Amino acid sequence: MNARHIRLIARKELSGLYAEKTIVSAILLQLFIAMFSSFLMVGLTAMYDPEAMAEYSTVRYPIGYAGAESPLIDAFEKSDDLRLYRMDLSVAVAALSERKLSAVVYVPDTSPDAEGPITITLYLLQNDLQSSIINTKIRDVLLGYEAELREIRADRLAFLPISLNFPDAGGADFFEFVYGLLIPLLMFLPAIVSAALIIDLITEEYQRQTLETLMSTPVTFAEMVWGKIAACELLVPVQSGAWLLLLGANGIAVRHGVEILLHAAAGGLFLILLGALAALRYRERTGAQFVFSTALVVVILFVLAVPYNPLNLMVRLAVGTAGPEHWLMLVLVLAATAGLAWLTNAYARRMGDALHAVQ
Amino acid sequence: MGALSSVWTIARWETRRSMSSMGREVLPLAAVLLVLLVLVTGFAAQSGMHLQDGMYRIAVDDPDVFQIVAADERFSAYRTDAGLRENRHAYDIVILQGEVYAADTDRGRSALRALERDYEAYVSWVANAQPDLFAAYPLWIDLRYVKSELDFAATQSGRQVGAPPDPSAPPVPEGPVETVHPPSPAAAFSEAELRESLRRDAADHPLARYADLLSADTGMETFKTPSQLSPPLPFDSIILVFVFIFPLYFTSQFFMMSMVNERVGRTGEILLSAPIRPAAIILGKALPYLAAMLLISTVVTLLNGASLLILLPLVPVILFFLANALIIGMSARSFKELSFLSIFFSTVATSYLFFPTVFANVHVVSIVSPLTLVVLQLQGDGFTVAEYVYSTSLFFATSLVLLYAGAANFNEERLFSEQRLLPRLADFVAAGVSERRPLLSLLLLSAFAVPFVFMIQMMALVLLFNLPMPLSLVLLIVAAAFIEEFAKSVGIYAVFRMRPAFLSARNVLAGSFLVALGFLAGEKILLFATLAQIVDSVFGSVLFLSLQVLWMPFLLHFTGVLVVSSALKIGGRRAYGIGLVAASVVHGLYNLYVVSGVLP
Repeated sequence: MNARHIRLIARKELSGLYAEKTIVSAILLQLFIAMFSSFLMVGLTAMYDPEAMAEYSTVRYPIGYAGAESPLIDAFEKSDDLRLYRMDLSVAVAALSERKLSAVVYVPDTSPDAEGPITITLYLLQNDLQSSIINTKIRDVLLGYEAELREIRADRLAFLPISLNFPDAGGADFFEFVYGLLIPLLMFLPAIVSAALIIDLITEEYQRQTLETLMSTPVTFAEMVWGKIAACELLVPVQSGAWLLLLGANGIAVRHGVEILLHAAAGGLFLILLGALAALRYRERTGAQFVFSTALVVVILFVLAVPYNPLNLMVRLAVGTAGPEHWLMLVLVLAATAGLAWLTNAYARRMGDALHAVQ
Repeated sequence: MGALSSVWTIARWETRRSMSSMGREVLPLAAVLLVLLVLVTGFAAQSGMHLQDGMYRIAVDDPDVFQIVAADERFSAYRTDAGLRENRHAYDIVILQGEVYAADTDRGRSALRALERDYEAYVSWVANAQPDLFAAYPLWIDLRYVKSELDFAATQSGRQVGAPPDPSAPPVPEGPVETVHPPSPAAAFSEAELRESLRRDAADHPLARYADLLSADTGMETFKTPSQLSPPLPFDSIILVFVFIFPLYFTSQFFMMSMVNERVGRTGEILLSAPIRPAAIILGKALPYLAAMLLISTVVTLLNGASLLILLPLVPVILFFLANALIIGMSARSFKELSFLSIFFSTVATSYLFFPTVFANVHVVSIVSPLTLVVLQLQGDGFTVAEYVYSTSLFFATSLVLLYAGAANFNEERLFSEQRLLPRLADFVAAGVSERRPLLSLLLLSAFAVPFVFMIQMMALVLLFNLPMPLSLVLLIVAAAFIEEFAKSVGIYAVFRMRPAFLSARNVLAGSFLVALGFLAGEKILLFATLAQIVDSVFGSVLFLSLQVLWMPFLLHFTGVLVVSSALKIGGRRAYGIGLVAASVVHGLYNLYVVSGVLP
């Protein structure tokens, strides 16, 4: 194994990537995603946690009220976000369907200490994002009324829950989404891209029949494989690092960036070796990509199901709650990667010998 | 008959080839991986997902509270008595004698939110164990949904839908009032049923409901306690993307690869030398994949017990995937390029299909994506013919244009050239311009560009619609102007690349005239066919200004193309960018002027 040969191949592949401007399309792709990052932030977070949306609106939503008198009227009137109108039920529902009201509440004439439940009917617009917001606002009022009713019926309760007293919570809705989902995802994407790339690089040599030309040079088959692996591996921390910088520019501070990049690079190498093995085995892109993608799903599912997995450690590192145990996991991943590397090397040598025998 | 039989021959040949190469080598390992997948899924179901473990640190002085907290793996929970008050800064949350203290950081606030949810779940759990259910849950909410089609014009000038009218008096409906009978005060379900639904609700993993997402509902979903009143997550469409779109995308990859293989091994040369028309070759090669995709969709639909009507909106999506796979397969120079192009395409296509269904669930905008029709059909609402035409016509139109472009370029020169990607794509376009009637071709070309322009503009609309009002409008104006100018100039640019001499002064004028004419005609035909609803809104007037007086938009289109082609003539290819920007500025200013007349 000659390090100079490996470097030569790696440089050739990287400059090939540069010349073909595939890197440009990769950057375009990342920009495409980054362009929507603000959009992603608001939109996906709303999806992840619709209540976050409720805090953005400052309008007072009109609500129709029909039926019997109840303490709910007072509660609604106290709310800053809702405006209550006492109306006839039919008129109110008609106004709702014309979007002149946001919701209609109908309260029956059931006494608070009745044996059975008090069933309130809530009319909402179907399939409406705004309904989700109003839902949240009304929910708060109804929860207050429920607590009141529980108080009235307290003597019928057999036991009570432990009571906890919460302070008033502020915003910070994006935190869990950004750090718990977005960051591990973005750190992981470059690894997948590189693994797909190694399959392309290796199978292309077979399918374009450029292998013979390459084998007539002093570079051995194994050296060629390792050169390609090196080129792909180099791209992983570069891309992940770019994401970290981009996040930083968007005001999302990520702690322990270096450690996160180490985890990304180690995991990336594992996947790249997996891709290389698939490519060496099939020598044809369709089959190799298919097998690799299926294997990738298996690996990701398995990794996510293990406590203290690298992706989880990235989350912990990013928010700053990781202990030194993450080094242990890094060593474990590296050990697994070393095993895979040995396998790849042995396989590549065997293939190389077979090739030379043919020649 | 001859053409049909040759399509059939090629289709059979393609099936046999892909089956044999896949069958021997890949399938055994794929079977092993499938078994592994089942095993790992079982393991993951047992062990749970550990992505967000230990995000927060929490310290508790009470063992019972510790039990509540420790169940949530997002918390690293510590139970200590001594010195907690002094060490509280080491934790995000500290609970001392029933009082919760949260650190004043983003992490602390986020942790507090998570804890509040956990506590709510715990309180519900305790309440559910009460012998007197209606003492624990005295209040039940019966949810009724009222249908209301949102008029697109209602969002004009940023006014929120349902904004409060005269605050002192209740609103009066304009339409007829149908009598609504007051609902019965009695609970619609027995106590045992309610207890069962509460128990199920508490046991549900947040993701569990997707397991039976598509199953029939029991009616209990609309009868809830106040704490269960969480707004519905619009997650469903993500699951739909996975269930319906991913298999389609995957299969289209095989078609793409088959195209590339013809070029890499130069096996295509044999095909090309056979007395078969390129269109027949393409159709024949695409047929097995089309059949496979339809079959997969049918199986997925039947597995979910849904109506086969779902297939209707999926057909244009399948065609769109195949058409794009064809073009990508014909234009990628290497495997790397193929990978990046296909990843890029899938990202864009997925967002086009997926974002409208999530965010604009309410609006007419959401029907831009055929996937919304799938959602509607699954919800049991169904869709009308008009909605179908509206959401799928762009997919049909673009697919057909792309397939045609593929067939026109399916020749030796194009397939085996080693040019860079962009020149190669320009060649694809230039192939649409005939030598003998270049001006007529330009007219048709710009008309055919319209569906693509609409598609990109729709995407811009869906994305920018969510931004605050003046910003969304300005960005839309800029984007719309640039997209249109680019689309119109592509034909002229492509011809100029091939034959610089073509751009004589006469041809610059005539070409610009015809391109503007073609674009206007294409725009109007497609608009009347499909997008009448959006046209009336302020967003519509930005995108589709041409519906007003005819000569004004025509003059605008003409000026735009004229600016670009003059720039090309004077400055050569380098001046193309400058000309494009200049044309966009003119176009944007015009849009702004017209829109400022529309706005109050």
